[in-house]
Amino acid sequence: MSRFELYSPEGLRLDGRRWNELRRFECSINTHAHASDGSSYLEQGNNKIVTLVKGPQEPILRSQLDATKASLNITVNITKFSKMERSKSSHKNERRVLEMQTALVRTFEKNVMLHLYPRTLIDIEIHVLQQDGGILGSLINSITLALIDSGIAMYDYVSAISIGLYDTTPLLDVNTLEENAMSTVTLGVIGKSEKLSLLSVEDKIPLDRLESVLAIGIAGAHRVRELMDNELRKHAAHRVAKSSAK
Amino acid sequence: MSLSVAEKSYLYDSLSAFPAIRPDGRKPYQFRPIEISTDFLPNSNGSSRIIASDGSECIVSVKSKVIDHTIDNDDLIKVEVDIAGQRDDSAVVESINSLLSKVLKPNADTLDTSKLQLTKKYSFKLYVDVLVLSSYSNPISLISFAIYSALSTTTLPKLVSGFDDLEVEELPTFHDYDLVNLELKSPLVFLLALVGDNLLIDPASNEYEVANNGLIVTWCNGKVTGPIRTISLNNFYSKGFDASLLGKGIKLVEEHANDVLQALES
Amino acid sequence: MSEVISVVKRRGGFQYPSIVDETNDIDTSDEDIEMEDVEKPAGDKKTDAAEGEIVTPGELVTDDPIWMRGHGTYFLDNMTYSSVAGTISRVNRLLSVIPLRGRYSPETGDHVIGRITEVGNKRWKVDIDGKQNAVLMLGSVNLPGGILRRKSESDELQMRSFLKEGDLLNAEVQSLFQDGSASLHTRSLKYGKLRNGLFLQVPSSLIIRSKNHTHNLPGNVTVLLGVNGYIWLRKTSQMDQARDLPPGGSTGGYPSNSGPTGAKSLNPSSNMSITRLEEESSWQIYSDENDPTITNSIRQTISRYANVIRALAYCEIGITQERIVSAYEASMAYPNIGSLIERDVMESIGNDVINGEKMRGNGGN
Repeated sequence: MSRFELYSPEGLRLDGRRWNELRRFECSINTHAHASDGSSYLEQGNNKIVTLVKGPQEPILRSQLDATKASLNITVNITKFSKMERSKSSHKNERRVLEMQTALVRTFEKNVMLHLYPRTLIDIEIHVLQQDGGILGSLINSITLALIDSGIAMYDYVSAISIGLYDTTPLLDVNTLEENAMSTVTLGVIGKSEKLSLLSVEDKIPLDRLESVLAIGIAGAHRVRELMDNELRKHAAHRVAKSSAK
Repeated sequence: MSLSVAEKSYLYDSLSAFPAIRPDGRKPYQFRPIEISTDFLPNSNGSSRIIASDGSECIVSVKSKVIDHTIDNDDLIKVEVDIAGQRDDSAVVESINSLLSKVLKPNADTLDTSKLQLTKKYSFKLYVDVLVLSSYSNPISLISFAIYSALSTTTLPKLVSGFDDLEVEELPTFHDYDLVNLELKSPLVFLLALVGDNLLIDPASNEYEVANNGLIVTWCNGKVTGPIRTISLNNFYSKGFDASLLGKGIKLVEEHANDVLQALES
Repeated sequence: MSEVISVVKRRGGFQYPSIVDETNDIDTSDEDIEMEDVEKPAGDKKTDAAEGEIVTPGELVTDDPIWMRGHGTYFLDNMTYSSVAGTISRVNRLLSVIPLRGRYSPETGDHVIGRITEVGNKRWKVDIDGKQNAVLMLGSVNLPGGILRRKSESDELQMRSFLKEGDLLNAEVQSLFQDGSASLHTRSLKYGKLRNGLFLQVPSSLIIRSKNHTHNLPGNVTVLLGVNGYIWLRKTSQMDQARDLPPGGSTGGYPSNSGPTGAKSLNPSSNMSITRLEEESSWQIYSDENDPTITNSIRQTISRYANVIRALAYCEIGITQERIVSAYEASMAYPNIGSLIERDVMESIGNDVINGEKMRGNGGN
C-alpha cells in the first residue's frame, strides 16, 4: 500500500475520516447483569469488546489477599476470530497480551480506590470479539465503563485513544491499516484533566511532533470521556426513573 | 455451586416425584427462554450469540478458508471451544471439544458438507469458534443451538470460476460482493437430567446437583443420531439408571426437538 | 409460541434491549475534534449538586467544606467529588453518593441468609454475597444442650457436625469489623440452619430493610427475605405459625419482644419456659433432615412463589410481603407454573402488582 492512499492530499483517510475525526463510538453498560458485578460492551470503529468486572469479592487464592487493599486482576482474551484472518494459535500467553495486561493493571491500580476494599479481589475479564486497531485504548475505555457500572469507587474516568503520525500530520483514532503503516501513540487521560495515566509509544516518533500528537490525543480522549459519560447518565436516568416509578 | 444437604434432599424429592416438580415449575420437556443475536461480526462469515435466562452466554464465529481438499484431507468443519476461566487443556474444555467435533462430523445423512465443495480441487473449510462467556451448568446444548444459528446465517463468497479445475489449472475466483447462503443445518444437542424415574430437559444448575445421571442426545434432520452419551452431573447422587429410561429419553427428544428447531428458525 | 422453548431473535446487531431507546440517535460518525476544545476550562458548572441528582466519577459535588463526606465521595483541595455513578444523598450534614449498582454491604442488625464456605478455628466463614465473607463465631451460635451452656473444647472439634460447607442459615449481623466485613450471630431460635425448602437469589438492592423479614404466606409457605438478596422459601413450620399467633397465656404482642429467643416454641399451645427452650435447641436445630410431610402441592406452591419473586426481580420491583402475595394472586391466572418463566408473563405480573398498588392508592414507594 502506498503512503499516498493513507492520507490523501484532500485530507481524507482510508475510511473517509479527516485527521481529527473519531471512529464510530457506541457503548452500553450493565450488559451482563447475571454474570458479573459490572459489565460493558463497547464498539469503537470495528473493535468489539465485552468486559466483565467480578468483585470486589473473596479472593480465590491466598496470594491474592492483601490486608491493605483490593487486588486487581485483568485478563484479556483476544479471540482467534477477532481479526479478518483467523489466527491459528491462541493469544492467551502471547508476550504482547501479557504486556497489555500489565499496562492495564498499572493504569487502573492508581485510579481505582483499592484501599476501600481490603482483603478482596477485583477480577476483570475482557473478551475482544473483533479488533481493528487502537485496541489498547478501547480496552481502557471498556474497563472504565464496566468498573463504573460495578459501583467500585474510582477517582475519575480514564479515557484513551491512539494517534498515528503520518509524516507531520497526527491522525486521531487509528484503525489497523493506519496502525500498521505508521508510528502510533496510545494515551490514557484522567477525566477532564490533561493528566496522562498511560502513554505508550511502540515505535520511533520525532520528539518535536510529540506535542501536537498529545494535544490532539488529549482532546480526542476528552471527547471519548464525554461520549461515555452521556451513555452513563442516560443509563442512570433510566434506572432512577424506573425505580422511582415503583 | 455447593448446596446444603437439606436443599439437595428437598430438590431430589421434588424432582423424583411423579410428575416431577421442578424448582421453577417447568414441564419435563420445557426449556428456559433464550435470546439469540446473529450476524454481528462483519469479519466472520457467520456469527451468533445466545443468552439463557440464567445469564449463561456463548458466542460463535464461523470463518471460512479455501483449501485444496486433494491435499488437506481433514474434515471440512473444525470446531474449537474456549470457556472463560478454563484452561484450554482442562477436562471440561476437552470433553466438550471432543463431543462437538463428533457432533459436527460431516456425514451424508446428518451434516452434508458437499455444499462446501467449490470445485473438483478446492473446498471451503469452516472454522467454528465457540466462546463460552459464562455458564452455570454444562453449556453443550446452548453451544449447539448457537452453532446452529451461526451456520444457518453463514454466507460465503459466490464462486464465478468454473467447477472443473482439474483439466485447466486455475484458482477459484469469487464475485466481488455477491454472497450465497450456506444453509447448512447442524445437529442440535439435548441434555437431559435423570432423577429417579424422571427425565428433565435443560436442567438448571440446582437440578444438576441432584441428578442421578445425565443423558446427551443428538438430533438432526428429524431424527435422533449419534453421539448419544451419558454424563455424570455431580459426585453425590450419580448412579446407574434403568435402561428403559434411555428409550424414554430418546422419545422425549424426538417429540420435542422439532419445536426447538422451529423456534430457532422463526 | 411453542410450549417447549421461547426464543427472542435479533439479527444484525449485538444490542441490549434496555439501551436501545428513543434517545440513541447521537450521530457519532462525524466526531470532529477541534484543537480549541483543549482550551475549554473544565469544571465550569454549579457548585452544589442537589439531592437525587445523578453524578458520575470525578464530578464536583460541592466546594462547600461544611459537608461531611460519606460513601461514594472523595475530598481533594477543599472540593468534594463523586467516586461512583449514582445519586446524591443528603442526610443532615452527611453528603454521599449512592451507586446505581454494587454488592451488598452489611449493616448491624441486618437479617441475612448465608451459606457456609469454610469451617475454621472456632469460626465459620459465611458467603453472604458481600465483598467479603462474613464470620460466624462458635460463640455466636446456640449449641445443643441449651443456650446457657458454656462452649467446650469438644464443641470446637465437632463444628462440622453443627454447620458444614454448603449449609444455608439465616442470621443477624451482630457487628462489623474495621474492614467492613460482618460478624453474624444465630443466638435466637428464629435464626439457624435452613431446611424444608428452596433457595433463590435476587439483587440485594430489591430487598428493603424492615422490622420483619420472615413472612408466612398463603398456601402454607413461609418466606425469609435476606437483606443480602438471598431468599429462602419453606413449608410453614409450627414455629413459623407461633410467631404470627400470640400463644395462649402469654402477654400477647409480638413474641420476639418477650426475650432474646425470637420465636417461642414448636407448639403454640404450650407454655414457654426456659427449659422448654433448652429442649428446642437440641441437636434437632442442626439436623439435615427435611420435614417428611411436605406434600407435592406445597412443593408446587413453593415453585410458584419462587417464580413470582423472580418475576418481581425481573421487573426491578422492590420485594415485600405484600407484593409477593399480590404477585402470587396475579400468577393464578396462569395455571401452568412453568409458564411464569417467560418474559412477557413476568412483565404482566409485574404490571399487575404495580397497577394493583396504584388502585389501592399505596403506590409510589
